[in-house]
Amino acid sequence: MEHNPRPRSILLPTSVVGRVDLGRLVREVDNLTEFLEQAAIREPGTSQEKLPKTSRLLDQTIEINKLNLLQVDDRKQLGQFLKTVYQEAPVLHMSFSADPSPQFTQKLAAWLRQEIHPFVLLQVGLQPNIGAGCVVRTTNKYFDFSLRERFKSKRPLLMEKLKSLGTKVEVVQVGEAHA
Amino acid sequence: MNGWQLGLILGLLLANAAAFLWLVVKGGVAGGSKGPEGTVADQAERDVEHIFNEEFREELRNRGRLHFEKIIGENAMFLQQDLRLTTSQLNEFLKQEITDKLQEEFAKYEQSIIDAKQMAIDSITKTQAAIEQQRQAMSAQLAQEIAAEKQRVVKRFEDNMADIVNHYVLAAIGDQIDLNDQLEYILADLESNKEAIVRDITDGA
Repeated sequence: MEHNPRPRSILLPTSVVGRVDLGRLVREVDNLTEFLEQAAIREPGTSQEKLPKTSRLLDQTIEINKLNLLQVDDRKQLGQFLKTVYQEAPVLHMSFSADPSPQFTQKLAAWLRQEIHPFVLLQVGLQPNIGAGCVVRTTNKYFDFSLRERFKSKRPLLMEKLKSLGTKVEVVQVGEAHA
Repeated sequence: MNGWQLGLILGLLLANAAAFLWLVVKGGVAGGSKGPEGTVADQAERDVEHIFNEEFREELRNRGRLHFEKIIGENAMFLQQDLRLTTSQLNEFLKQEITDKLQEEFAKYEQSIIDAKQMAIDSITKTQAAIEQQRQAMSAQLAQEIAAEKQRVVKRFEDNMADIVNHYVLAAIGDQIDLNDQLEYILADLESNKEAIVRDITDGA
């Protein structure tokens, strides 16, 4: 499977985090393309539909890639790019103990696209029982960076501390009993 | 004493009668040749009949009967006394025999009771020893079981304790840590596993 969907110079903005956002962009580009094609074949004097509104995600995508969607080539290029990314980009499932804010996911997506893969998509989940940290699931692997897992790995230390505390309590009780 | 006298009298009477009869027989034989008108034997017989007449013989019979009755009564009394004495002696003998027998039986019975008692004591002692041995074995086994159970409980307590503490800490601080504050640590974890993630994404391995 090809994970690099014809990069060229088009980039995904960090506000586009997951496949849902990408799917919305694809639909917007399709709607815009359809509208412009309809407008091109419209006969003069007939009523004209309103230009579809574009979302902030699409605006950012156009802006950072310096595209002109009135141009057929740019539209086709962007549409093709988005569909390719939608179909072939790697997806990382990340679960957190609470619902992350958009700023948080954008920072995370920025780091992932810089360090892991330029078109990686993020699917966010919720696992309140992990306490803190996150759980990452890739295609074949599972990484648990949660506080719960940290506690599990540190259980011997906890038990050692508890036992030493219990021993101290017993010593104190014995001392008090002798006193 | 009376019996002996009666015998003596009867013996004298029988001796006189025998002597008289011998004289008569002797005289009859000698006088037979004297004449038919009267013999000595006939004369003797008539004298005998005259002396020992019916009254005399009846008197003798009565005397003899009385004496006999007296002797019989005395003998009956003696016999009764002997019988009483014998009965008394027999009673004494039986009493003594029974007493001895009973004492012997009682002694045997007592010995049997002592033996049975000893056997019971021995049996009880053995049973007590066996019970004590069993008790010690059970005590050891119980102590072992208690130690094992204690170990299990302690282990379960430790496991559950760790889970409880973990759960408590997670529940206590889980909502208090902002995700933005965690971002640095999350990125650090991702950074430390970046190679594995990249390899899995690019190679699918």
